[in-house]
Amino acid sequence: MSAIRIVIVDDSSFSIAFIRNILEEHGFEVVGEAGTLEEVKEVISATRPDLVTMDMTLPGTDGLECTRAIHSIDKNIKVIVISSMMDDEIVKQAKENKVSGYIQKPVDEDELITAIGRVMASDELYLSLKTEYFAAFKESLMDGMNKMTKTLLTYKKEYHFETEQESEGLTIIIGIIGRFSGRMLIDLSTETARKLAAAILRKEPKDTNEIIAILGEFTNIISGNACSVLNKKNKAYGLRVAPPTTLYGEKVRISAPRYATTIALAETVYGEILLNAGFQRGEDNWM
Amino acid sequence: MDVKYVNPFLEAFTSVMPQLGFQNVNKTNVSVEKQEIKKAGVVIIVGIVGAIKGNVVYCIDLEGAKNVASTMMMGMPINEFDEMAQSALSELANMLTANAATIFFGQGIHIDISTPAVLFGDDITIKMSSSQVLCIRLTADQIPIEINIAFEH
Repeated sequence: MSAIRIVIVDDSSFSIAFIRNILEEHGFEVVGEAGTLEEVKEVISATRPDLVTMDMTLPGTDGLECTRAIHSIDKNIKVIVISSMMDDEIVKQAKENKVSGYIQKPVDEDELITAIGRVMASDELYLSLKTEYFAAFKESLMDGMNKMTKTLLTYKKEYHFETEQESEGLTIIIGIIGRFSGRMLIDLSTETARKLAAAILRKEPKDTNEIIAILGEFTNIISGNACSVLNKKNKAYGLRVAPPTTLYGEKVRISAPRYATTIALAETVYGEILLNAGFQRGEDNWM
Repeated sequence: MDVKYVNPFLEAFTSVMPQLGFQNVNKTNVSVEKQEIKKAGVVIIVGIVGAIKGNVVYCIDLEGAKNVASTMMMGMPINEFDEMAQSALSELANMLTANAATIFFGQGIHIDISTPAVLFGDDITIKMSSSQVLCIRLTADQIPIEINIAFEH
């Protein structure tokens, strides 16, 4: 990985020199410095750093206004506040302004380096989960179908879950918890559910309860296997699954979550199965 | 299922709802329900793992859900249970469960929660994840809200 590029915002040349020293000693690249709102806009636009260290008290502006200015240029730039002031109210405001970390002056070297490491690692970890999770879920559904029913499925469509949609009849929901939280959901018609349950059971299920029990366990296995695969790729994900909750009824609508999730439609010999999964970036736990 | 699991949810409700602008918060009753629940309205599911494993399912009728969303948005009128209102209810379930998790943590019970899943309709049957379900019925400014808790041992 190339060196993390950092801009230091502070109005004291002593503080800048002090922070720069620590950062450079640890292999970070300090690509600019700024002391006013104008300088912040200029330096950030020109250098596009990965991270900014931000003083709170600045002439004619403050750290929060500067943070907003940075995020209006590029919302992916991480900001860590380094300030002599630190109380609940200002920390709350910092969080509301999408600050990723807060360190009190005088700066403790270890604390600063740890904070940067955490902020950047969390970002990379989420990106890596985002790139690999859906393949793991799709693979797990395919594998589960194959092992439990000896049949194959084909994915015919894949898209982002952006607007609410109507359930086909039966929805099974599994909450996922770990370094990033999310959920997996399987939706299918009651007819598909009955046929799939019969195939898994190798005989006709006796009632709706039995169908739901089998489908719940099926979904539980799919989500559990997918999360195990992901945890093996990177144990920092620490994913665990909650037990399944099943809903069914007439014209039940499923709300699109507030974070990005993906849907894949699988064509199976029993009918269509909708698979939906996603993880929330979440807030950084930095306090 | 142990009734001690009820209190953190009650406490969370009575502390979070006033912060969102609700004046009167009341507990109606607590009962033990069967695994299957029939509902009309909005259902929000939050998964739980850790020292306790299970699900918390919040239920509220559609009118109530719109009123809750409206109060949460400083009285903005809500005519449809639209994306904004769905998002508000999802956030409510998240806040209530996260708050309860913090209270559990204070008692030495460490739990983590999933993101909420929101579903709604006129005729929903919910099959909870454990055979016994604790149902807490509450009101916030006369709006009935149900918290159904299904924990495994």
